[in-house]
Amino acid sequence: MALEDFAAEMDRCSQCSYCKWIPFDQVKSWRFAKNCPSVSYFNFNSYSARGRYAVARSLLRGESECSETVRKIAFTCMTCGSCDVSCKICRYNLEPLGMVRELKFKLVEDGHGLEAHRALVAALHSEQEPSDRPRRSRGDWADGLDVLRPPTEKAEVLFHAGCRASFNKDAQPTARAAVQLLRKAGVEVGILGDEESCCGGRLYSMGFRDEFLRLARSNMAAWAEAGVKTVITSCADGYHAFKHLYPPLGSQVEVLHTVEVLDRLIREGGLTLRSAVPMTVTYHDPCHLGRQGEPYVPWKGVEKKIKGQIVVYEPKRPRHNGAWGVYDSPRNVLRSIPGLELVEMERTREYSWCCGAGGGVREAYPEFSEWTASERIAEAKACGAQALVSACPWCERNFRDALAARGEGMQIFDIVDLVAKAI
Amino acid sequence: MTLPSRVYRDLEDIVGPENISDDPAVLDSYRYSLAHTAIHLGPYYDTFTPRGAAVLLPGTTQEVQAIVQLCNQHRIKFKASSTFWSAQGYPSEDDTLQLDMRRMDRILEIDEKNMFAVVEPGVIGATLQAEAMKVGLNAHLPGSGCSCSILATATSYFGSGPSNLYGGWQYDNLLGMEWVLPTGDLFRTGSLGSNCGWFCGEGPGPSMKGAARGFLGAKGAMGVHTKCAVKLFAWPGPQTLPVEGIVPAYRTPLPRNFRAYTVAFPTWKAWADAAYLIWETGIGYLAHRQYVMFGRDLKFAMVKILTDPTKTLGDLEEILEDPQVQRVTEESKRDFQIVLAGMTPRDIEWQEAAFDQILARTGGWKVEAMNEPEINQWMLLYLIRLGHKNLNLVFGGSYDGAFGLVGVPDYGTSHAEEAAEFKKTWEQRGAVVQAGGDCMMGPIGGMGGGGTCLWENFTCFDPHDRESTDGTREFFDACTQLGLERGWGVGMEKWNAQARGPDGRTTPKTERDRIHLSSPQPAAFRYQHKIREALNPNNLGDAYYETLED
Repeated sequence: MALEDFAAEMDRCSQCSYCKWIPFDQVKSWRFAKNCPSVSYFNFNSYSARGRYAVARSLLRGESECSETVRKIAFTCMTCGSCDVSCKICRYNLEPLGMVRELKFKLVEDGHGLEAHRALVAALHSEQEPSDRPRRSRGDWADGLDVLRPPTEKAEVLFHAGCRASFNKDAQPTARAAVQLLRKAGVEVGILGDEESCCGGRLYSMGFRDEFLRLARSNMAAWAEAGVKTVITSCADGYHAFKHLYPPLGSQVEVLHTVEVLDRLIREGGLTLRSAVPMTVTYHDPCHLGRQGEPYVPWKGVEKKIKGQIVVYEPKRPRHNGAWGVYDSPRNVLRSIPGLELVEMERTREYSWCCGAGGGVREAYPEFSEWTASERIAEAKACGAQALVSACPWCERNFRDALAARGEGMQIFDIVDLVAKAI
Repeated sequence: MTLPSRVYRDLEDIVGPENISDDPAVLDSYRYSLAHTAIHLGPYYDTFTPRGAAVLLPGTTQEVQAIVQLCNQHRIKFKASSTFWSAQGYPSEDDTLQLDMRRMDRILEIDEKNMFAVVEPGVIGATLQAEAMKVGLNAHLPGSGCSCSILATATSYFGSGPSNLYGGWQYDNLLGMEWVLPTGDLFRTGSLGSNCGWFCGEGPGPSMKGAARGFLGAKGAMGVHTKCAVKLFAWPGPQTLPVEGIVPAYRTPLPRNFRAYTVAFPTWKAWADAAYLIWETGIGYLAHRQYVMFGRDLKFAMVKILTDPTKTLGDLEEILEDPQVQRVTEESKRDFQIVLAGMTPRDIEWQEAAFDQILARTGGWKVEAMNEPEINQWMLLYLIRLGHKNLNLVFGGSYDGAFGLVGVPDYGTSHAEEAAEFKKTWEQRGAVVQAGGDCMMGPIGGMGGGGTCLWENFTCFDPHDRESTDGTREFFDACTQLGLERGWGVGMEKWNAQARGPDGRTTPKTERDRIHLSSPQPAAFRYQHKIREALNPNNLGDAYYETLED
């Protein structure tokens, strides 16, 4: 795809502003009705999906140039996909999330990428990882764990730790706990260690398509060599990349998030949770596990018109609108923990508010990223939760950092941590 | 135009550097495509409203006043818009400052006892309704949907919607108002003007509602309305709508004191008789001829798609082949949707009995297939929240209304079939969606006049397809011609032609004068001219506040 391929959509965007709000049927209050962090923070139309369609059209037609403001408009999109869900309440022939990704790709390809993002890419090229730690230490988090170590050993089931867990000590206990739970349930897993590459998902969302492709091919090659049939990850970004972005490149491995595996193991009796965790918690749906965590359905086709002017596709085009994301598994797991009460925030499941860490925003616009996280924390507090639980290390870090920056208190957990407490 | 740097700096001092922009790309996100839908004068392919001189996001009434005073000082035109529904919210003249009222979005008060809310421009229908429901009240939502500004629909347009039956047209609901006049002075109308609170639009205090709104609403052309109070209505449902289902097929279970039906009638006369009887009997909470916006031939198939999250428009042709769908489509030709809400168990029993009698007397029937629980619960949520209103645009991205017959039920029903047949013949040419001709959507039983109805024949087209937009415009011209020949008057497809021309800019004065002079009461526009001279001496608005010089 190229940005030009979205020219028809730029004209067909109804300029209705549904993209600025959660699905209206789900609005429960004034306070938590907005969905798009960037237009909520910066306020100009330009920072919404409808505005980005207009900005992209203006650029394509040569009516404006790539100013500093235009770069900000493009790169403050977290690609959280909330606009995409709301748009598709009424529309079947627009893809606003796809369009803004193409806008970012184009800006990067034209040399208008952000310095903060380029630094990440440079780190990857120099054998570093996004967290600025040497790649050779990538498997250290699993030292002492009973895991297979491809390529010397074959591993049908692979645990992909991801960049956060590989290099950040605060996230490593969760990764270790995940592996220990899987082992306790009798699941034999391997890790790639220093053969594991960044999934590339975050670079993709920053506009670095080529870098993403390089990393994806590296991972797919390593999986093939190790005989991997199933990849399990605790990272929502990794999950989305493997589930949605790798299949068009030829990947055929089964992709599971840890919460899906835990849900299955608990239901089938492979894991029994006995210890009470007396706590009221709320669950934050990571964008890339929830609304963007839908199964990938291949499609190649063309637009056609029926009934004169109804725009449809030949063959029928699969619809990704957040309907079939991973929402129930994490909630099932939480509900199976003795003593734990799960309460829901107003914005939940496919219309969840983003944590603020996505799309390279955390790296380039930290103040905005922190504000976005703080909005979610306020929502969690408003629903009476003592703790905010998620299933993505990037979300959890952004919440913790926002709390620290603002001097606020709230417990942040990964689901795996709570299951480990309850086992 | 590039604003003189001194003026830009002065504006920046008022709103802060983060709330002003003259970046060309930002300005282009505040232009409206007339190929999309111009409500109601086009469409015109590849034509946009003019690029503004700058966009500002004021945060307070004081900031708005300061901006307007500066505009007067430098003779710069300005245009305020809250939620940007349709071309009316955008500048129609070059070198205009666009005020985006989004930051002024607070619900300042919900007076439960006196049943009104005080809102700023950026408050949308969905959020006001959600907050009102918590205290047993509801807001009347405009037909443009709950994404739209409540203040704008009360001050700047006429605000018709499914709750007309119970909540009136929104202009009826406007109470006290805070108004930054085009000179920058602050004016408070109704009881607010006498420091008596917001409860009344007329007094004690200056009764300026008519002057402020003008013909069909001020449409951002006469200063900036910065706060207003609107009436709220009883809500006998839950404090929060319990929503079930998979996106986008959300639905809400019917409370025990609610009934929701799609009904149909053997003739248009029977349809009109039922509308009168509903009005006279005083039953009903929401009523709209809603599904027909997809078209007589497509509506049931579309309802099937919209209530099934696995379906898309790509399934439409196959669904239309289903004999059951064809039977229901035929059965529900002359239909509308209605929601009854009882304030007490006895009330709903009585309303239901009365409604059954109305159906019996008129020969109407409940359309069984459309009243299946999943469809009914979806319809209930749809009509209460109006959160799927932009299904108007589902087919190709654009629609506009043709004809727009407003009047008592008999008036519309007398002409509905002829207008539908006329459209059907045009549909065969291919420029607009072939929907069955009859796409006459609108409310049943607005207050006043024995229950007015509005018949807007939805015409869907593709804004990216020049043949489609050109063909649609030809059709609209033909509608206007037919309306004049048949004595229906100019339809809503041209309602704003006097204010905005085909190039997206203000219609030349000679043309505006010609249109106003040919109207039934030119004096109304002369009166508005006097008002504009008094309140807007530097003429810094646009022609949406319609005037005619002596």
